[in-house]
Amino acid sequence: MQNISRNMLRIATALGAMVALAMIATAQETVSQQPNAQTAVFPLTTKSPEARRLVEEALTLYLDRVEQAQAIEILRKAVQVDPDFAMGHEVLAQISLDSAEQVGEQAKAFATRQHASAAEQTIIEWYQDAGDHKLISAITKMNEVLSQYPRDKWVVWMTTWWLQNQAQYERVIAVYEHSGITDSPGLINNIGYNYAYTRQFDKAFAMMDRYVAALPDDANPQDSYAEILRLAGRFNQSIEHYRAALAINPDFYSSQFGIADTYSLMGDQARARQEYEVGFRKFPLPELQRILWRTREAASYVREGDYEGANRAFQAIADYAHARDNSQAEADTYRQMAEYQQDPKQALIFLGRAEAATQEGKNTMKIAISQELAQILRARVEIAVKMSNKEIADSSLERLTGMSDSSNDKLIELAYHGAAGTVLFSEKKYDQAISHLEEDVNNPFSLKLLQTAYLKIGYTAGAKRTNDTLANLNDPTLEQALIVPAFRKCLDTPSCNGNTKSASLKK
Amino acid sequence: MLLLVACLLGTVQAKQLAIVSDKGNLVSNITATDLIKMFNAHSRTWPDGKPITIVMRDPSGTDMQLVLHKLFNMTPDQARSFIQAHRDAIMVADSDDAVVRFVSTSRGALGVIDLYSLTKDVNVVKIDGKLPVEQGYLLKGN
Repeated sequence: MQNISRNMLRIATALGAMVALAMIATAQETVSQQPNAQTAVFPLTTKSPEARRLVEEALTLYLDRVEQAQAIEILRKAVQVDPDFAMGHEVLAQISLDSAEQVGEQAKAFATRQHASAAEQTIIEWYQDAGDHKLISAITKMNEVLSQYPRDKWVVWMTTWWLQNQAQYERVIAVYEHSGITDSPGLINNIGYNYAYTRQFDKAFAMMDRYVAALPDDANPQDSYAEILRLAGRFNQSIEHYRAALAINPDFYSSQFGIADTYSLMGDQARARQEYEVGFRKFPLPELQRILWRTREAASYVREGDYEGANRAFQAIADYAHARDNSQAEADTYRQMAEYQQDPKQALIFLGRAEAATQEGKNTMKIAISQELAQILRARVEIAVKMSNKEIADSSLERLTGMSDSSNDKLIELAYHGAAGTVLFSEKKYDQAISHLEEDVNNPFSLKLLQTAYLKIGYTAGAKRTNDTLANLNDPTLEQALIVPAFRKCLDTPSCNGNTKSASLKK
Repeated sequence: MLLLVACLLGTVQAKQLAIVSDKGNLVSNITATDLIKMFNAHSRTWPDGKPITIVMRDPSGTDMQLVLHKLFNMTPDQARSFIQAHRDAIMVADSDDAVVRFVSTSRGALGVIDLYSLTKDVNVVKIDGKLPVEQGYLLKGN
């Protein structure tokens, strides 16, 4: 696995960014404005050597050992020791699994940045800009730091991680390969995923072999190997590697949930839920991770068409999130409930609850609320189109257009394109729909429409490529559950859309 | 577990290209029509008389497909021949970093780079009043 991001709940739209920083020497030092890029080491500025030592320890645990919970605890100590340790606050903001802490620590990092070096300030402002929808400024600052420290392990990690969350996989690979870093298990792990995202599985598996060799006694290399095998559709091998991870470390809970997710993708929902429950019984989980895997478990009911069961499971998650004052998670849960409802009117009721939760906005970054609202509006457009309710579709799309126009946020823009493509498709304006849907290729709903739109305009190569993508999508999310199994079934059904026969399911 | 971020393998990610100029260039916005003229070497100077030098990546690369389609309206081979014939006005660099380096130190240069390669050494030029992150921006898509 990779470490979890702060915005992990937004499934295919996650934008969380993890920070990793490095460290050096004397207290209250100031970085040179123009360090030697070949050898420069990123500084950490604090008046406390103990605080620096703690952050260094946390970073190593977090990056190379994927011990996120432990790292968070240590970071909390570090910022207690030196409350003016701006980068300590920033790292904690980025890796915390508590939404209120994320918000608070980001504010502290920004407020205390004058105590930090110029490079640290640039990083804090980069993340602040990203959070404030100022993408161009964020990119500029990211590249400024990268140009000063292109071979620094922590800067390379920060950069590649942020780019990965921006879906810039090819650039991630370029930054890593340019860095010349070959001895960081954390980076090897990260880049392995990026090769997988770009469907370069041979390179991804080679990275995983190196990762396993580098840390033979650690569970995470086996866990990552399993996850990448699952992405490639090799489910049985994936489960073997998850079990190998648990054999190394029985407390490595993500592997337990990885097994559950994999059974769910394989279509064995009863076994999947058994495995989820084993995990929930055995392991105390941080809030966001509990919500994540409860959501996966709830989606298993959707996969087998048990919508009552799904409603009970999702409602329990929404209640839990509400009780924890986690408005974004509550909203996201209601939005997902809307997506699988068979009755569109009921779906609209759930979307109403989702929007109400965003209005409460408790313990959630402003950007997360905006992104969630965009997802809700997009879902409302889709449901309105199903209901042939042009009024709701148009008004929701108008709001979403306004949000997209006024923000520089990629995820909001994707939601807009998905919604606009859906409306145009329903109006049989296939060429125009395609131009929007092609912008939203991380969403199974958009992909499905895109495939049909390509067929409608006679672009069979595009339809084939989209078919292949959908058929080989192995992502344990609700969206995958709602689209992909039915699509695969269609591949085996003579009466189904003939063109999907051209898709090849990789096993 | 962060595969939630990005699970659709093999899909094409939409590109966002930025038009960049040197920091001394006061032009902050260019119309799409004028930009096409510049890339096709029909407009060869800025309003102040400075020569325009276009800097881009290899036109046969996947990153430049949007440029070929929306600015040159040529195939990669046609574009390569065209560039060869206009070496005084159009340069090819081997990386975005090289484009940025050249543009930042060359008065009148106009480069095209991936948005995520942007640095503080160059200015982003709007096209038809739009930045690369805005709806309807010309150089965005697959």
